[in-house]
Order: sequence, then C-alpha cells, then structure tokens
Amino acid sequence: MESQILTLVTFFPLVGIVLIMLAPKDRPDTVKGVALLVSFVTMLLSFWLYSMFDKVANGMQFELNVPWITSFGINYHVGIDGISLLMIVLTAILTVLSILASWNSITERVKGYFISMLLLQIGMIGVFCALDLFMFYIFWEVMLIPMYFIIGIWGGARRVYAAIKFVLFTMFGSLLMLVAILYVVSAYHGFANEYSFDILKLATMPIAYKPQLLLFGAFALAFAIKVPLFPFHTWLPDAHVEAPTAGSVILAGVLLKMGTYGFLRICIPMFPQATITYLPYICVLALIAIIYGALVAMVQRDVKSLVAFSSVSHMGFVMLGIFALNLQGVEGAVLQMINHGVSTGALFLLVGMIYERRHTRLISELGGIVKVMPVFATLFMIVTLSSIGLPLTNGFVGEFLILIGTFKANMTYGVIATSGVILSACYMLWMYQRVIFGKITNPENEKLIDLDWREKGILIPLVVLIFWIGIYPKPFLDRIEPAVRSLLTQTNMVREDIGEPAFTVETDGSLSGMTAEDVNLNSKGEVHE
Amino acid sequence: MDFPFPEYNLQYMLPEIFLFVWALVVISFDLLSKRNNGSTTGYLTLFGIAIAGLLLGLVGNGKGFGKMFINDNVAVFFKVIFLGAAFMAVGSSFGVMQKKIVNHRGEFYALLLMSTTGMMFLSSSQELLSIYLGLELTTIPLFAMAAFYKDDKLSVESGIKYFIIGAFSSALMVYGMSFLYGLTGSTDLAQMKVAFFKTHLQFGDMGIVMILALIMLAAGIGFKLALPPFHQWAPDVYEGAPTPVAAFLSVGSKGAGLIAFAKIFVDGLYAYHSPDMAPNDWGMLIGILAIAAMVLGNVLAIRQTNIKRMLAYSSIAQAGYIMIGMVALSASGIASVGFYLFIYLFANMGAFAAVAVFEDMTGSCQIKSYAGLARTSPFFSAVMAVFLLSLAGIPPLAGFLAKYYVFASVVDVAQRSADSSWMYWMVGIGLLTTVFALFYYANVIKVMFFSPETSPYKVEAPLPAKAVLAIGVIGVLLFGLYPEPILQFATGISSSLHFMP
Amino acid sequence: MVPISAYLIVAVVLFGIGTMGVLISRNIIVLFMCVELMLNAANLALIAFSRSLNIMDGHAFVFLVLTVAAAEAAVGLAMVITIYNNRESINIDRFNILKW
Repeated sequence: MESQILTLVTFFPLVGIVLIMLAPKDRPDTVKGVALLVSFVTMLLSFWLYSMFDKVANGMQFELNVPWITSFGINYHVGIDGISLLMIVLTAILTVLSILASWNSITERVKGYFISMLLLQIGMIGVFCALDLFMFYIFWEVMLIPMYFIIGIWGGARRVYAAIKFVLFTMFGSLLMLVAILYVVSAYHGFANEYSFDILKLATMPIAYKPQLLLFGAFALAFAIKVPLFPFHTWLPDAHVEAPTAGSVILAGVLLKMGTYGFLRICIPMFPQATITYLPYICVLALIAIIYGALVAMVQRDVKSLVAFSSVSHMGFVMLGIFALNLQGVEGAVLQMINHGVSTGALFLLVGMIYERRHTRLISELGGIVKVMPVFATLFMIVTLSSIGLPLTNGFVGEFLILIGTFKANMTYGVIATSGVILSACYMLWMYQRVIFGKITNPENEKLIDLDWREKGILIPLVVLIFWIGIYPKPFLDRIEPAVRSLLTQTNMVREDIGEPAFTVETDGSLSGMTAEDVNLNSKGEVHE
Repeated sequence: MDFPFPEYNLQYMLPEIFLFVWALVVISFDLLSKRNNGSTTGYLTLFGIAIAGLLLGLVGNGKGFGKMFINDNVAVFFKVIFLGAAFMAVGSSFGVMQKKIVNHRGEFYALLLMSTTGMMFLSSSQELLSIYLGLELTTIPLFAMAAFYKDDKLSVESGIKYFIIGAFSSALMVYGMSFLYGLTGSTDLAQMKVAFFKTHLQFGDMGIVMILALIMLAAGIGFKLALPPFHQWAPDVYEGAPTPVAAFLSVGSKGAGLIAFAKIFVDGLYAYHSPDMAPNDWGMLIGILAIAAMVLGNVLAIRQTNIKRMLAYSSIAQAGYIMIGMVALSASGIASVGFYLFIYLFANMGAFAAVAVFEDMTGSCQIKSYAGLARTSPFFSAVMAVFLLSLAGIPPLAGFLAKYYVFASVVDVAQRSADSSWMYWMVGIGLLTTVFALFYYANVIKVMFFSPETSPYKVEAPLPAKAVLAIGVIGVLLFGLYPEPILQFATGISSSLHFMP
Repeated sequence: MVPISAYLIVAVVLFGIGTMGVLISRNIIVLFMCVELMLNAANLALIAFSRSLNIMDGHAFVFLVLTVAAAEAAVGLAMVITIYNNRESINIDRFNILKW
C-alpha cells in the first residue's frame, strides 16, 4: 500500500471523470456532487499521505519505480519529499475549494467544466509526484489543455485571447524543456550506456560546463515562464483576469508553483554549476519582479488584475529565496509557495464572491462594503494582512525566512527586497481601504448580501491555514527541511569545487526548531563572514 | 545454358492476391446486384480488408519470386499500416456513398483495394522495378479516385492535377532509376549496395550522374510525400478529392512514398560514398527538405479557412517531422519513422473521418461552420479535439510520443557524430514549428468550443464512421499511454533494413 | 559500334524536351505527351545500359514501364474527357477553382 498510495492520490480524480461522463446531462447537481465528493476524497487521501510521511527520513518516500516504456527507458517513477508533500496537500485542498467556489457561477456545460477541473488535478498532483523526467513533462503538459478550456470556455470577455496566449507561452517554454530533456537523456546514454529519464539518476551525471549553461537556460526559461519571472510574465494578468474564479485560484495557487518547483527539483540539482553562474541574473530578475509587480499592482483599477500583479511580486520573493541557496532562503521560499497559494487563492475567491454579486471588479465601483458585508470585510482583512506578511499570519513566516536568507547571501538584494514588502503593504491596504471602507458611493452596493454558509465554508479553511502557518509553522518546516538540506548539500559541494565561498547553512532555531546536532551535520559548508 | 528457375513461393503473396481478387469480387457484386445494394458493398470491402489482415498474420516471413518479393519485418509493419488506412478510409466513406457516389460504389471500393494492393507490393519490394510497379499501382487508382465526383468541378480538377503531378514525378523517378541501374548494373537494392562498396563502378567516375540520379529520385519521391518544393499539389488535391480519398491519400500515399524512400535511400544507398557526396551530406539535404516542410506546412496552414486544406498543409508539415527520422540514418531513426506513421494513421485518419462525417451532414468544409459544435455534439467535438491535439503533439496523446521518438533519434545520432550541429538546429526549428502547429489546431478547437453561438447542426455519424472514430481515439489514447508493443514492432523494422553500423 | 554515351545523350535530350514541355505547355494533351517523352527517355537509357552491361533486367524494366504508361494513359485520357465535359477546355490555366 505504501508504494501505491501516490498513484492512488494522483489518479483518484479519474474515478470522478468517468462518473461525470456517465452522468446524465440534465442533472448538473449530480455532476457537481460527484466532482466535490471525488476531490474531497482526494483531499482526505492527501491528508493520509501527510500523516504517513516520515518527517525524519531523508530522500524520497513512497517510491514506486516500475518500467513503463522500456524502449525509451521511461519508468513510472513516483516519490515525494517534504516539498512535494506540501504542494500535493495544497493542491488537493485548493481543488476542493475551487470546485465549491464554482458551485453557482458555472451554469453552462457543467460536465465539461468539472471534467476539466479533475483532469487538471491529476496533472498537478502528477507533476509533484513524478521522479521521471518524461512523466514530469507529460503531467506538465496534461495541465495545459484543461486550463485552456477553463479559461477559453468559462472565462470573461477576452477569454479566447487569454487562453491562446496562455497556451502558446507555456507551450513555447515546454518545448525548450523538451529539447533539454532530449539532450540530457541522450547524454546520459553516452555516460551510463542506458536510457533513463530518472531525475535522481540524471542528477548524478556530470555535465560539462558549457552544455550545462544551455540546458539550465532551456529548463529555466520553461520554468520562468510558468513562475512567471519578470520579462515572461505578460501572459499572467490576461489569464488571471479572464479565467473564472476557480481557474484563477488554481492558476495562482498551484500552477505558478510548478515553475519554482521545477527549479528546485530539476534545475538546481541537475545543473549546479550553471545555477551558480546564472544566480546573479536570476536574483536581479526576481528583484525587478518584486518591485515592478508591486508598482504595477498599485495602479490597477481592477481588483483581480491587482491580485494578479501582486502574484508576480510574491513569486519574485519565492525565486529570490530559492536562489539565496541557503537553508533559510529555500525553506522560506517553499513555505512562501504554500502561503502564496493559500492567501492569493483566498484573495481570488473573495474577488470572485464580490464579482458574483456586483458583476464588476473595478475598485471605483466598489466601496463601503464593510457596512453591508461585515463578515466578508473581516475575512478580506485577514487575507489581505496575510498577503502583506503581517506577523502571526503565514505570509510573515515565509517572507521573514526569505529575507533572512537573502540578507545572508547578499545584503543589497536583501535591502531591495525589503522595500518590496513595504510596497506590497501599500498597494494591498490602499486597495482594501478603497473597496471596503468609505461611504457607499454606488447605490448598487447597498443591496449586497453577506456571505452565505457555502462561501464561509470555502474561506474558513484557508483562514485557519493562514493562522496555523503563521503561529505554528514547525510541522511544515520540519517536513521541508530534510529535502532542502539535501538539495543544498549537493550544490554547496559544487560551489566548493569551483572555489566559490559557500553560504552558511545554519538555521534560525526558534522558527524551524532545529537542534545543534543538525547544524553540525552541515558544518563543512560553513564560512567565515 | 542452365537457367535457374526462381521459386515463386506464392504463399507469401497471399494477402495481396486475395485483396486483388477481392477487388474484382466487390466490383462484380456491385454489378450483379444492379448497383442496388445499400451499404453491402462497403461492408464487403471491410470484410475483405479484415481477411487480408488475417492472412498477413498467417503467412509469416519469407521470400517469393526469387528476391523480388520479400515478406520481412518492414514489409509486415507497413502492410499493417496500409491495411489500417484502407479500413479506416472505407469506414469513413459510407456517408459519401449514400449521398454522392450512389451508382459507382463497386468501382470506388475496387480502386481503393487495388491501390492498397499496390502499397502492399511496394512494402515487399526489394528492387527498383517492383518499387516502381508498386508505386504506380498505388497511384493510378488514386488519380481516378480523386476525380471520382465526375460532375463536381473541384473533384475533377483535383484529379487532373494529381494525375499530372503523379505522372511527372514517376517519369522523373524512372529516369533516376535508369541511371542507378546503369551505374550499378543491377536493379536489386542489395546488389546495388555491394556495387557501391566496390568503389570502381563500371563506368569509371560518374559522380555527377549519380548525383543527378539521386536528385531525380528524391524529387520523384518528394512529390509523393509532398515535401517542399514539390508540395503545391497537395492542398488542391486534398480539398477537391472526396474526403475519404483525401484521408487515404494522406496516410496511404505518404506511407508508400516513405517506404520507397526508406528502401532506396536509407537502405539501398546507405553505403554510397563519393568524394562529392558523403552520406552525411544527403542526410543534410533531406534535413533541409524536412525543415522546409515543417516551416512551410505549419505556417501556411495557419491562414487556411477550409479544414481539408488545413489538414493538407498539416500533412505536409507532418511529412517534415517524419523525414527527420530518416535524416538520423540509424536503426532507431527508421523505427521512429515507422512508429510515427503508425500513430499518424490513427490521428490523421480519425481527423479526416470526422471531417467526412461533418461534410456529409452539412456539405461544408469551412472551419467556421464548426462554430459552436461543442454545444450540440460534445462527444464529436471532443473526439475531433483529441485527433487535432494528437497531431499537434500534446502529451499524453500518442502524437507526442511519435514526435519525441523522431527527435530523440536525431539527437542521439547528433551526439555521437562530429560536425552535427545542424542536426540540433533542425531539432530546434522543428520543435519551434510545433508551436505554430498548435496555433492552428487549437484554432479549430477554439471555434468548436469557445464560440458563443450554438451550432445549427447535430452530428449523426453512420455506424462504420463511428467505428472509425472510435478506433482512432482508442489508438491515439492507448498508444500514447502504452506504446511498448508498437515500439517493439517498429524496432523490428530496422533489423530488416541492413544497416551498416 | 555506337558508344553508349550517344544513347545517353539522346536520352538526356529527350528527357529535357519532355521536362520543358511539362513545365511550359498549357494544353493537357501536349503535357501528357511530354510526360510520355520523359518516360521514353528513361526507357532508352534503360535499354542502352542493359545492352552495354549485358544484363537483361533493363529490358524487363522497359516492358513494364511501357505497360504502366499505357495504363496511365488510359486513366489520364479518361480524366481529360471528363474535365472537358466539365469545363469545355483542356487548358490547364483554366483549372483554377482550386488555388494551384
């Protein structure tokens, strides 16, 4: 059972797809019920996965490795470490919530919509489980088509443009990735005389510096488009704004994390030397993304595109944390991936709820909502504060760790990144003030009804998560840490090889609860500052 | 003089003989029943093709007619594809038969069977003469089939265009063959190979003649494959010809061109060396043709409004992808070509069958008539989307694996050989063009699914067409997830083409 | 004895005339005759090679090429008649409903 559980979690939504296909067309409620039930069971399965996960063990857990396409050396190889575990749980939770969020807003072609959602879930969980490059690629692409349909059929006014832009951008990136995969696998054939797509095996192969640069570039571009890193972000506002609420939630909550996850799982372990060469450039781009995203968000008139641009800024933080390449930075980045999924997901849900009532998202049309929708305003407040990174909320823990990591790695970057935090407080609070407070200028806002039980039910789990991670992040950090540690050990060895000083690998004991022995494990990577 | 009498071994030819006889049976049946037999002729044809497939499974490998007819792995693999193409073409023709070709069913099916026979002979040939005969037997019935709507100006025009191009290209090919024969003193590919090994050819240094011969042959086969610059006929013919014929043309005729190409160039001329032209050089030549095909096909397909024309340009591009496998000039390269064609059979025949069903119902092949079809016929639209996405190479559909295999085999070769950076460029450009490809395939999906209006049509396919669509979808999905048997089957091909290391 | 090169030169000339004819001629019948000319050039080359190599394969090839050409002619001329019925013309410039 241990080794099959990942397969079960990944492919369980398939049951729902089959059931929905069989369901009669004129019974949308049945379809919705099936989708909700199946995604709920998937979520329970992911909780079970979480509970069975051994947080002390190093390396991959629940591994299953069986031959699939033997002619190409492709295996069905799945396994998770702490990073993927948390991403899977996040995906499962967000899918349930977004299915709930689509309950009333999706009225036409219900079957197709929920099939797409469940297919999307398979793709997302699959990416986080895959340890075989080929499987990774396939799941990566599997997500593309349902998302294309979700944006293109159930989206807003400019949905077709946004859908096609999304697909072409992503496809372009993934083709570069495919070229790199072709090369790596072929090179591995020359190195070990066998074809293999195994990510763990491929990482053991030494690659010459020059091809490494190209390969890293190809993978990084594919991932950077997905993240999205600064110059490649233009698809994101369109896709976010046009997608239906659930689509935005999934897009922001999970799909963007695929990019950063790819950096952690593939780029850095496989091409450590190239990582160090590219490091400054990526950090600069991440900083630009932080500042640029925040500034553009500030001038948005549409709440949804404001949140979309804030995603660009927040994902810049995540990238910065990853490329700080020290324990705090990467841990913070992984935690921030979760946080961003939770709080931005919640923001999109909230925006969706107000849109369902008012059919507008323009900030100027809203205002004074606190008087008619107090519960909404309260929850919105909590989520906004979490997005800013106020202490006691999840955003604080993640951003704080990232900033510690960044300051350790490079003081200048740290200073610039901190200014990003201040900017994010500016645009979020300003937006909140204009939407929620003030006088009711628009008579239509007077008739608004507060959240019903379904909407509260959607938001409360997220609020719980916000506070849980904010106050007691230890269980999460404990699970992330071994994975991050092994990643860093690998890269720091390379760093020493090429004579660059390694960054300190130590930890802030109060946050992650590490013991002195743990620190000693990596003392060889320490450097005098 | 004691003349060694060749062994006929007719049993290896049984499927071909059966198919040919069956063609006569079908046409006689149609005549005897006074052309008044509903769909029976069609079912009879399907039955015949199934029996031929069964016989193919039974006869096993061996040689007949001395060395002129060889049933080996290559032959069997391609025969399976050709029979499959014929089966699916016939299956998708029932609607056309009811509406347009009411009085000439027998001829239509007989011609189709004869053309299939030609393809099967071609697969088994190991020698220039039988390659030529096989190709002609393949194409001559197709000329007539393209022009089958006698009163339809488009159809007749497409037929005559196909005819002119076909006759011209086979004349080029025969001329090239005559030079090859003169230079090597044999029409047998195996002996030609030996002759090339002996660097002293009978006529001294005839390097330039050899190059001329190669160009003639490449042009002749290039026409059949619709590789640029010999591609202009394809969109016209595909648009004008009856849709099942266009479907058969796109897979069958392309397969015939490919097998001829593989036999003559990759197998027969593999050992050819001269100071003027190393094998790598003509690999590059094909590479350039392949790039041209991918770029031109994909770019021109974008602005098509007729779905048959769009599929024609897409098939030009697909030929480019297939030729990349040929460029590799390696065992896995040839296997990838076979695998690609096998997958292409399902996806492309499926797409054409869907187009045929839609055309029979609405009389239109314009992409814009598909608008809003997903609302009235969600299943049909989904099936069409699966075919198009497979053609675009989106995983986990089989089309992706086919593309992957082709590109992987080239990268493998490129990494082993020096002076191969152009191969990486080819792979890069090839993959880049798939973005264009996705654009126009996705456009059809966009029209079907995203359009706000509701289509006035509700698709009702006749049973055989449904079966064809189902076969296509199952093939594309199944072999996308579990391609191993076909991969093994395709790898068997390379064992029959006698590669030098 | 006439050297083989003489035959080959004639064949090349015939083939050249045929090819040019196919490319230039606008009349389908003429065009078709030019294709036949190309085939006959190939036949001539085959026969010449066959004779000088003293291998009979070439002769067999020629017979079959002739047969195929006849079959091609049968189909082709039938189509010419059909299109004439259709369009009242056998000028290929008129066959432009489909973009050429």
